[in-house]
Parts: sequence; C-alpha cells; structure tokens
Amino acid sequence: MPKQFSLGGKRALVIGASNAIGRAIAVALAEAGADVAVTTTTRSKDEETTANSCSNELWALDRKTFAQSIDAADEADVDSVIERTVSELGGLEVLVNAHDLPFAKPATVITTNEWRRVIEANLGGPFLACRATAKHMLAEGAGSVINVASVLGERGLANGAAYCAAQAGVLNLTRALALEWARSGVRVNAIGAGWTEGMGIIGDAESRAQLERYLPYRRLAKPEEIGGMAVYLASDAAGYLTGQVVWVEGGALSHV
Amino acid sequence: MSVLDKFDLSGKVAVVTGAGRGLGRAMSVSLADAGADLVLTARTTAQIEETAELVRARGQQALPVTFDVTDSADVRAMIDATITHYGRIDVLVNNAGGATPGMQNTLVDIDDNHWRAGVDTNLTGAMYCTRAAIPQMLKQGSGKIINVTSGFGLRVARDNFIYTSAKAGLINFTRALALTYAPAIQANLIAPGLFPHDNEAMIEWWRGGKFVPMGRLGRDEEIGDLTVVLASGLTSYMNGQIVVLDGGGLAGGHAPTGFAPVVALPEGV
Repeated sequence: MPKQFSLGGKRALVIGASNAIGRAIAVALAEAGADVAVTTTTRSKDEETTANSCSNELWALDRKTFAQSIDAADEADVDSVIERTVSELGGLEVLVNAHDLPFAKPATVITTNEWRRVIEANLGGPFLACRATAKHMLAEGAGSVINVASVLGERGLANGAAYCAAQAGVLNLTRALALEWARSGVRVNAIGAGWTEGMGIIGDAESRAQLERYLPYRRLAKPEEIGGMAVYLASDAAGYLTGQVVWVEGGALSHV
Repeated sequence: MSVLDKFDLSGKVAVVTGAGRGLGRAMSVSLADAGADLVLTARTTAQIEETAELVRARGQQALPVTFDVTDSADVRAMIDATITHYGRIDVLVNNAGGATPGMQNTLVDIDDNHWRAGVDTNLTGAMYCTRAAIPQMLKQGSGKIINVTSGFGLRVARDNFIYTSAKAGLINFTRALALTYAPAIQANLIAPGLFPHDNEAMIEWWRGGKFVPMGRLGRDEEIGDLTVVLASGLTSYMNGQIVVLDGGGLAGGHAPTGFAPVVALPEGV
C-alpha cells in the first residue's frame, strides 16, 4: 500500500459499528493501521454484543480499541464517548458516522414521535457527533469526518418518507460542514452506500429479491466493499477532497 | 482479503491517455507506485518518454505509444500494441483532453470546426479508446475504466459551450458504460477542480486558490492517488460514479466562498 494511504498513527471513532457497514468500516480502518473505538447507536443488548465482537476483531489486529454502548442521539452519551476516545486512544483524527435506524411506513400513518425519532437517529446523531468531534479536530487543525448515507438520500422510496428525508439531510449536512471547516483542515465527506447486505431497510426476502433484479450487479453490496472507500477518505491521500458524496452503489443511481 | 491487499495493482496493465504531462503523468506514476505496468499515450513522443522513465524508475514496465486520440485508427493501433505487448488491459484511464481552438468564443463565433475539435478531443476520443479496449476487457471478464471529466462537466461558465458540453457528455457516456457492462467492468469518473500543474501563470490566474473553499489549488499527485483507488479492488462495487476532487468547490458555489451568514432564531422559538 503506498504510504499516503496508511492510517498508521491515526485514531478513529466509528459510531454504529454495531451495524454491518459500520463494522466493515471499523475493520478496514484498523487494517490500514488506525486505532479504532467503536460504539452502538442504541443501548440495546444485541447492538452491544455486536459492537463488542467488532472491538475484539480490531484488538486481534493489534490495534488500540474499545467498545462503548451509547444512545447516539443523546448529546451527553455522544460527548462522553468522544472524550473517552481522545483520552484512551490519545487523539481523534477520523470520525465515522454510520448511524442507521431503518424505518418504513406509509406517510399518512407515521406518528409525530416516529418522525422525530427517525430524523434524530439518522440525522441528529451524526450532527451531534460532528459538533463534538469538530471542537477537538478544529483545535488540532486536522481531521476527516465520514458520514455514511444511503442511496435513499438521493432517490425517494414509497413508505420511506422519514428515512429518505433524514438521509438527504446527511448529504447536505456534509456539504455545509465541509465549507464551514474547509480552511481549518477538517474535511467532511459522505459515502453514499448502495443497497448493502445487512441493511435494515431492505426488508423481507421477497423485497430483497425484487431489489436484486433491478440492480446492475444483480446483487447487493458486501459491507467490506464500502470499507475501502472509508480508508481512502480517512487518509492523507484524500487531502484535497471535501464536501463530496462518494457513491458506492454498483450503478444503481445511473438508472433512470 | 485485507483492505491493504486491495491497493495492490501488481500484474495489472493500465493504459493512460494524455500521459505526457500534468494529471496524466501523475496518474501514471501513482499507478506504477501501486504496482501496475503502463501504456503511456499522447501526441508528443518526448513527453511520454519522460513519463516512461519515471515509471521504469519505479520498477514497472512502460510502453510509450505516440497517438492522436481524435483519430480512431491511431486509437485502434494503440490498443492493438497494448494487447500485443502485454496480452491484457485491466485499467483504461481516459485522461486526454483540454483546451481546443475557439473554446472561449461566444456562441455565434463558434464555427463548425471549433465545435468538432472540442467534442472530438474531450468526448469522442474517450469513446474511441473505450470502444477499442472493451472487447479485451470482456474477454478477460474484468476491467476498470476511469474517465476524467471536470467541474465544467457538472456546472458551467458563461461563453464556455464546447468544453462544458463535451465534459457533460462524457459523464453520461460513462454511466451508460457502467450499466451496459456491469458487473464485469466498472466505469467511473474523476472531476478535478483547479490543478495548475506547477504552472506559475495558472497559479497566478487562479489567485493561488484563494477562492477555493480549502484555500488552495490541487496537487497533481492527489489525482494520482484517487486514480489508484478507482483502479483497485477498493472500489469493486463502485460503478457509474463521479468523484469530485476540488477542495470543496462544488459542495457550495452558489455564493462566494467566505459567505457565511449568522441568523439567530426569533425570540421564543
């Protein structure tokens, strides 16, 4: 690997390593040399188990790591895990927001609370993490923020109103923060993930089969196919890249 | 497979058009650093010979082929020479392009030859190269095509008709490639922002990047690094996409850089 892609010496925090894409990104960052702290997005037991097993995998790669169970939409939880990352790993150069709360329901019956929860989990959470992390990164004059969004931030989906709105929000949050911090050495980009194995929004076997027939590859993305792009965006090789959404979606968005 | 192995282009053959200088040279050098062998093409023999020396200095093979990208017979001969020499084509970088006569003319002053030269250089040449290379890639069952568009392929400027139209055309040409030849072949685009290639006049013309959100101009090797990413196994599920490498320029651009209003919420909200 050419040295400018190496993440050796960088410290990363992956919020949402409890889902398939977050986990694959955490592993890829660690393989490229970074120390990586990982979190859940809610305090559920299942997520905690997955995040712990992810952290064990990173530890086996001989990286500094820890897993923490957090509510990623809760300001105090987010602030505390960022502080812990800085103190335990010794700094924080890479933030990955892999929040993903799937939700689909006809718009007319989405309750106000459901709407708020979906927007908070998918868009509010990444904002909280960006805000808290940036205070640290801006002081250091360096950092790379990677927001994971979905093709549903660019295209609509019936019964996906809340989720689609939140995902689109993440894309423009990315662009706005990138401009705000462009001269401070903090880059902000998004990976626009295609339909990927393990994504909650895909639904049952029948809707998955329907989806696969439509995709140019006739298959979903594997989570590790998203991880490689995160390594590039986190690395010094991408030092001039900011405010962009890099789509890793197998050509799905080229379709009319 | 570890993500580290995915950077490795050992055993891969990459064709770079416009490889004699600037971005094409930087792309060739980066691909060689990652382990690829190269075919270096441009009109000016002396320049591609220089790039070839840089590639060989990195321990990789280089085959310089002088050609005119707007001449389809030349293009076929270049692809044939590649297959004869290496037996395969893994990566095709359609980088050749740039300014042509009459590019800044007002619409009524663009004559037919101006238009044809601009479109031939910046769009048709990429089609010729891709058309010639695709059968070999399909025979192999794999291939990566990287087309170089521009911020002017996505947005425009006054009195810039020829270049913007050709570069926008290249984007949809690439998307059509992506859909037609998936999953064997991936086709993606790089849209570079302002890259002065160490040219003092261009650095001056662009005010050193003062109006770029990041406050600086691009470095050629940064395009080289991105080329490696798009040529490698890192991007096996990426297809038909544009990566804009421009220091944040296109993320905004509807108001001057530095425009950052502060608006408080009304009382009680």
